[in-house]
Amino acid sequence: MHPVRLFCWHFMAYPHLPADFDENHESGWVTVPNSLWDRKKSKGLYQEYLDQLVYADELGFDGMVLNEHHQNIYGLMPSPNILAAALTQKTKKGKIVVLGNLPPMYLNPLRIAEEYAMLDNMSDGRLIAGFAVGGGPEAFNYNVPSPHGRRRLWEAIDLIVKSWTDDGPFQHDGPCYPMRYVNVWPRPVQTPHPEIWVPGSRSVESMAEVAKRGYGYFLSSRSHGGGTRDAARQFAQVMTDHGKTYTPFKMGVLLSVYVSETDEQARAECEEGVFYFLKNCLKGHLRTEGKSMTFGPGVPSQSLRSWEAFLDSPRSSGGMLGDARDWDELESKNSIMVGSPETVRAKLWEFVEDAKVGNLLIQFQFGNMKDALARKSMKLFAEQVAPALRRDSAALFGREFPILADMENVGVPA
Amino acid sequence: MTIRDIEVQGRKVQLYEAGSGAPVLYFHGVADMHGAAAEPFPFHRALADKFKLIAPAHPGCVGSAEDNTLESIDDLVFHALELLDTLGLERADIVGNGMGGWLAAELAARNPERVGKLALIGATGLFVSGSPIGDLFMAVQPQNGGVGDLRSMLFSDGDGELAQTMFPDILADKPQGMRRYQVFRFASRVGFTPPYFYHAKLRDRLHRFKGPALVVWGNNDRFVPVSHAKAYGEALAGSTVELISGAGHAVILESPDVVAGKIAAFMAG
Repeated sequence: MHPVRLFCWHFMAYPHLPADFDENHESGWVTVPNSLWDRKKSKGLYQEYLDQLVYADELGFDGMVLNEHHQNIYGLMPSPNILAAALTQKTKKGKIVVLGNLPPMYLNPLRIAEEYAMLDNMSDGRLIAGFAVGGGPEAFNYNVPSPHGRRRLWEAIDLIVKSWTDDGPFQHDGPCYPMRYVNVWPRPVQTPHPEIWVPGSRSVESMAEVAKRGYGYFLSSRSHGGGTRDAARQFAQVMTDHGKTYTPFKMGVLLSVYVSETDEQARAECEEGVFYFLKNCLKGHLRTEGKSMTFGPGVPSQSLRSWEAFLDSPRSSGGMLGDARDWDELESKNSIMVGSPETVRAKLWEFVEDAKVGNLLIQFQFGNMKDALARKSMKLFAEQVAPALRRDSAALFGREFPILADMENVGVPA
Repeated sequence: MTIRDIEVQGRKVQLYEAGSGAPVLYFHGVADMHGAAAEPFPFHRALADKFKLIAPAHPGCVGSAEDNTLESIDDLVFHALELLDTLGLERADIVGNGMGGWLAAELAARNPERVGKLALIGATGLFVSGSPIGDLFMAVQPQNGGVGDLRSMLFSDGDGELAQTMFPDILADKPQGMRRYQVFRFASRVGFTPPYFYHAKLRDRLHRFKGPALVVWGNNDRFVPVSHAKAYGEALAGSTVELISGAGHAVILESPDVVAGKIAAFMAG
């Protein structure tokens, strides 16, 4: 029986922006002045966020998800590994998903190999190792021009994995990262190596690179419903083309959820946090208004072919997540699932049934949402949404992917 | 005029050629043909009235093949040398605009025997303390969905029709959208990683080029400040500096006749 794996995702947004932030600042990224950081109000912030993830572990989530972003208010995790280290000591059961480190930003990818190996040991084999190329803002922050990102990413990933699986010392010949001595201590606990996830936004090149190595593909663009289903089918086909076996657990997707006692209450409780997230955190990233650094020429790492596809997509003519003007528009896009346990379960089930994706990475905390609300939503989800989702998805996946019956652990790298 | 493809060490390079007489090699910039537009501008046509203009598209721009190994100005200089070899040009007069001017200057400093006359227009390439080259890549990132910041950086009149035509907000024309992406992707290979669009040692190496040089600049250039014109003028012993009033970085678009006239006179002299 392999039910959907339910992960608790956290961005760790900066929650203390002034109320007029949107009027006075063109971006929440790169150029957003750090004089806005309020030392007094921010006291205890990391503890609060960390404890929410610890709570997710207590509630029986399959794991906690961290991510790397720099010089922004969207996610205060320039080093997710530091938080992952804290989680190894405060959680007991769930996977610790770092999604991911950004190898192109590093001078030496062995640093990542070492830190991930440490985390795998400190958590006794609970690490899921993510690797990402980094978005437009990261290119500005770390001076890595886009055309070089993909090359560096894949050379780094291959080198890191080899450093975990092959006996050292050995020499690596580059071209991006020539190393005379590759000999990583400690070695990871999991064999042959921790499960690996790589985010992508449906570019064919990325899918192919992930598929041929048998890693997990994480859909980073929030295309819900049909978009995710199409991506899942596309990825399954690419895996098949590379002689690999697709299961729903080779694919992950980011979802945003808020659960409360009733639909009305859910909306009333989360609306402020949701719009703080959309208007402020996404400004500069996934919002047309302001200075957006994610999709401009010269910055994203898309190949020319992917750029051409982008020009053909509706995304290029606006309609990004952060553009939603009001609640109705947000609802109609089904970008964020909000409601009673029954409503959210129904929406999620419709999604799972349609897309057949096995790793649901769920954001519960939005922008400046208060701790008590985020926790309540997580608890209601864990107690009143998750059980049915697990039951129904296990049956569905069992029926449609008989190969899963032979698999003891769906996380094992193929 | 003709547009044809040649092979340079196995890489496809698209060439625009027009006119007759002595060959002059033209290295383009961003607000230029092969960059913002596929077609030559009145400026290029005016040059082609006087001599044989050979304008290759940089790797990855319009019809030229991308070169994924290209990651610095050094690589681009070697590409240019191979291009000269392929074209059978032992020695060429060169005009370079924007980052194409940087390439021309690097070539002149490294292989002065390959360069006859050197004309630089709003060339990047130098570090001038207190006058940083603008962040072209930040400028092209959408502001409220448009690229007004880019137009303001490249044109004296960023709201003018010329700027709007070359860099419209809405890319209704897909080829234009592709060209823009291509030229910026190319530019980021040599200009994004620090140092930003310059080579710290170039200025002290330019003395190696002893030939005649012309430095033309729009005095409202907000991408490469006009102080860089002076710096090039001082570093190139045999040079003349011409500042064009009222024009920005896109001086070949904003004052085509004036710039073409000065270059034609320089090449003829």
